[in-house]
Amino acid sequence: MMNIKKNILYGFLIIFALSISLAGCSGSNNIDSSSNTVSTHPLTGSPNEEYYMITFSSGLEYWKGCYKGFEDAGKLFGIKTVYTGSPQYDVNQQVTVLEQVIAKKPAGIAITAMNPDALAAPIKKAVDAGIPVVTFDADSPNSGRYSFLGTGNEYAGTIAARTMAELIGNEGEVALITLPGQYNHELRVEGFKKTLEKEFPNIKIVAIGNGKSDQTEAAKVAAGFLQAHPNIKGIFATDSTSGVGVATAVKETNRLQDVKIVSFDTDKGTLDAIKQGIISASIAQGTYNMGYWSMNFLYQLKHDLIQPVDKWKEKNITPLPPNVDTGVNVITIENVDAFY
Amino acid sequence: MNLFEGILNLRESKKYNSVVRSVASFREAGIILIIFIVCFILSLLTPHFLTRDNLITTAIGLSADGIMVIGMTVALVSGGFDLSVGSIMGLSGVTAGILYLEGMNIWIACIIALIVGMVCGLVNGFFIGIVGLNPLITTLGMMGIARGAAYVLTQGSPLSLFAIPKSFAFLGEGKILGIPVIVFLFFAMAIIGDFLLRRSEPIRRVFYVGSNEKAAILSGINASKVKIGVFILTATLSSIAGILSLARFTVAAPTAGVGSELRVISAAVIGGASLNGGEGTILGAVLGVILLNIISNGLILLNVSVYWQDLINGIILIIAVTFDYISHKNKLKRLKLNK
Repeated sequence: MMNIKKNILYGFLIIFALSISLAGCSGSNNIDSSSNTVSTHPLTGSPNEEYYMITFSSGLEYWKGCYKGFEDAGKLFGIKTVYTGSPQYDVNQQVTVLEQVIAKKPAGIAITAMNPDALAAPIKKAVDAGIPVVTFDADSPNSGRYSFLGTGNEYAGTIAARTMAELIGNEGEVALITLPGQYNHELRVEGFKKTLEKEFPNIKIVAIGNGKSDQTEAAKVAAGFLQAHPNIKGIFATDSTSGVGVATAVKETNRLQDVKIVSFDTDKGTLDAIKQGIISASIAQGTYNMGYWSMNFLYQLKHDLIQPVDKWKEKNITPLPPNVDTGVNVITIENVDAFY
Repeated sequence: MNLFEGILNLRESKKYNSVVRSVASFREAGIILIIFIVCFILSLLTPHFLTRDNLITTAIGLSADGIMVIGMTVALVSGGFDLSVGSIMGLSGVTAGILYLEGMNIWIACIIALIVGMVCGLVNGFFIGIVGLNPLITTLGMMGIARGAAYVLTQGSPLSLFAIPKSFAFLGEGKILGIPVIVFLFFAMAIIGDFLLRRSEPIRRVFYVGSNEKAAILSGINASKVKIGVFILTATLSSIAGILSLARFTVAAPTAGVGSELRVISAAVIGGASLNGGEGTILGAVLGVILLNIISNGLILLNVSVYWQDLINGIILIIAVTFDYISHKNKLKRLKLNK
């Protein structure tokens, strides 16, 4: 009796195993080897191609513009775009995220390098593995990336200095509120300082403070500056959250007439403040274009569509323009409506 | 009896001892002294410190932390602490902002934001008070959850509240009795809170739970209920801070309140609350917030380089706490010797 039961059990198991393997077989026959699918048109990609945008402090509003451009371009080509990055301002985290993305063998990577040296080696790894890589907003020049798209934060600082000079009449005291230790903000401050030294020697920076990317903290620092330096004519904030804090501090001490505020980026709070005349100008970098053209470049690379020089790969020449200036806009009350 | 003998007799009299005892037990005397010393030094170093404008703006700046320190003191006294206060502050501001932008009346939006905060506190209280989890891990988890929820709701972008009704703007810009509203509300809540923590029997149960939980339970106190109440309180106060910040800036930032939990705990500890529970006053904690903010205000006024500020803030913090601790210990020693 037991033997019959055992046999029946074994029988079922064998039938079960056979049917699974048969299902597996027929399944693999149905798998679409889309990597071998020939597109009908060179600019029509496959939805299985994945292009990654990797940032740091990935929750920042600033990257949203970049990814919107990236995504919109991706839709044109019919491929899939993915946004990722390190949630914190932490270079180890960003390198880890990059390496995890490389392991997924993506069709292309657009990355903004939190630190040019730390990201150079992992980006090189991606390039050597045959993955098209471009950098945007913050470059890693020695990494072997195919192109850099951005304005350079130092240049943004220069534009901010010129804007501030125009607003306060080329002379007077100004203060800065920034995020010390964050590379792109340090570059903005550098650009601001150098431009003042060279072009506007009658404008003096009397104080530099840490806005800690928090409205309340930035307001405290700005309020302190306004007390310690009653003759300040302008305050420059290198990030939008600090800018809102500065605006509130100036409003609360009733110094809106005397103190001009120049801030950064295009978040709604900043735009509204410009509309109300509380913030005089905001510096907006071409984030949409950074993302849009990054995607375009990556697609061209992936599909080998661009051949300016024969056998560019062997000769180590990038087929893409190595540097693309995506421009800087100064938003004032006159053009603010266009940026909503 | 000459003067010398008179003094010796005085030292032995009961009245003198009880006076010394009551001054020594005025725990906050140490920190008040430190604040006076710092204010004095700062007023010598810069003429801009002791001005009406500077003191008012400093008061406005510290009010959000101050409101949260009221709850944090009660939490510390009960033997726990709440790391999620900053995140709940951000989440509440964001909740009220989103609901208002969706068309809801701003005041109803604020009430809902308050309820959201209280629910967070209830969850904290449930896991700490009933399930028995460690407050560090639980509130750390809630810190991530609430902050994450704020990011999800806003998709990372701060929300701008254009054209809010005048009544709400009054919270941010108006004055009651010549004092900015946010400062007035902070002082009012602090005074009421301090009074309740010293005199209200049901509130004072936190001292028993914090000093010796087992003994408290044996004497009939429902420790679980006390803990749930404590965390609902910290969360509610954080929500209030978030809503008042929203009124002040008219922008709901998902990053509001980042880093405030450590500042608030430091302030309460400087003011005499013990990390082991059973000790602390709201007056002391408020003085702690004032001291911390006076110091950072001073560093800004003195144009101390931005890179040095964190370092100096930290050093002064340790000096202040050590000074306070030593003077407190000495007073206790003198009390014991006089017996």
